[in-house]
Amino acid sequence: MAGSRDVLRRIKSVRSTRKITRTMELVATSKLKRAMDRVAAARPYAEAAEDLVRGLNAPSLAQDHALLRQPAETKRAAVLLLTANRGFCGAFNSNLIREAQRCLAKLEEEGAETELHVAGKKGLAYFRFRGRAIASATTGIGDDPSPGDAEALVGPLRERFAAGELDTVAMVSAEFRSAMSTPPRTTDVLPVAPAPGRRSGDAFILSPSAGEIVARLLPAYVRATVYGALAENAAGEQGARRAAMKSATDNAGDILDNLTRSYNRARQAQITQEIAEIVGGAAALE
Amino acid sequence: MALLQLRVLTPERVVLEGGVRSLVAPAWDGRVGVLPRHAAFLSILREGPLEFLSEDGERREIRIDGGVLKVESGQAVVLADGAGEPGEARESGAAR
Repeated sequence: MAGSRDVLRRIKSVRSTRKITRTMELVATSKLKRAMDRVAAARPYAEAAEDLVRGLNAPSLAQDHALLRQPAETKRAAVLLLTANRGFCGAFNSNLIREAQRCLAKLEEEGAETELHVAGKKGLAYFRFRGRAIASATTGIGDDPSPGDAEALVGPLRERFAAGELDTVAMVSAEFRSAMSTPPRTTDVLPVAPAPGRRSGDAFILSPSAGEIVARLLPAYVRATVYGALAENAAGEQGARRAAMKSATDNAGDILDNLTRSYNRARQAQITQEIAEIVGGAAALE
Repeated sequence: MALLQLRVLTPERVVLEGGVRSLVAPAWDGRVGVLPRHAAFLSILREGPLEFLSEDGERREIRIDGGVLKVESGQAVVLADGAGEPGEARESGAAR
């Protein structure tokens, strides 16, 4: 019964793997809930800030405000890539990495000098392995990002953009459409380019002035954009992990079924053979 | 009596949402009071207490870490870098 013992061993190993993937699925599910709450809680501020920036924006402000400056040509560009610190979440990280490469290639094609800033161990490991220079690396952002994390990421970039050292800052992150769909996307963080909309600045009593209010608001707005992306990334990671672990668990179940079947078949074949031997032996005695 | 709809938002959450009778905010140039039917108004806020008279006439106060105040058609929106109970330590993160 040598064959069936091997099958038994495999059954045992697949069963324990299934136990692990199922646990990871459950953990991701509970973390996903919290992460989604965070995404929803961040939205009102981001929307209100965008609304205000849009309402106050005027061509005259663009000349005075470093963050609104629209450079004529892009000479130096920074790409901020947000990835997860951990794997086991399907194509989540590789999708982000691919999008970042596409974004870098596009900027380089346009003649810009690019620099890459990476958050998350997965993106970092990939680009380190590929030997690409990484301008800054952040790995300390966990499952619950804070606005402080966002500020630490984007603050230096914002200052360098304001000083004219950078002409554009793009961010690659996951868009959290649903727990099942988290496609990568590129957002232009800087310069701030509010979508044209209703201008409301004129109707307000402004204190001290539109320019100063915008100057106060813009850094917070940029920070909120990055914080929102961090929150969505965290939620997307958990969603992707849940989906990946779910299919791994289902898969393990299928494999178990097959293994159990072949184990039973081997056992049955052995019994049949033993009976045949007994019958054969008895027949020989007659 | 008309109420002012007050919303206090930080990057992380909605801190407060509801009708208030009046509001006193720590504007950059001094404390500014807002009553219902206030004209459209935008101002910068510094760190300090945000006081308001709740719907049932109770005086309440929260601490904000600076931001922007917008008043428009009976709605007051405070975009704060952070917020908390008075006397509480600054919320980690927001504006460090």
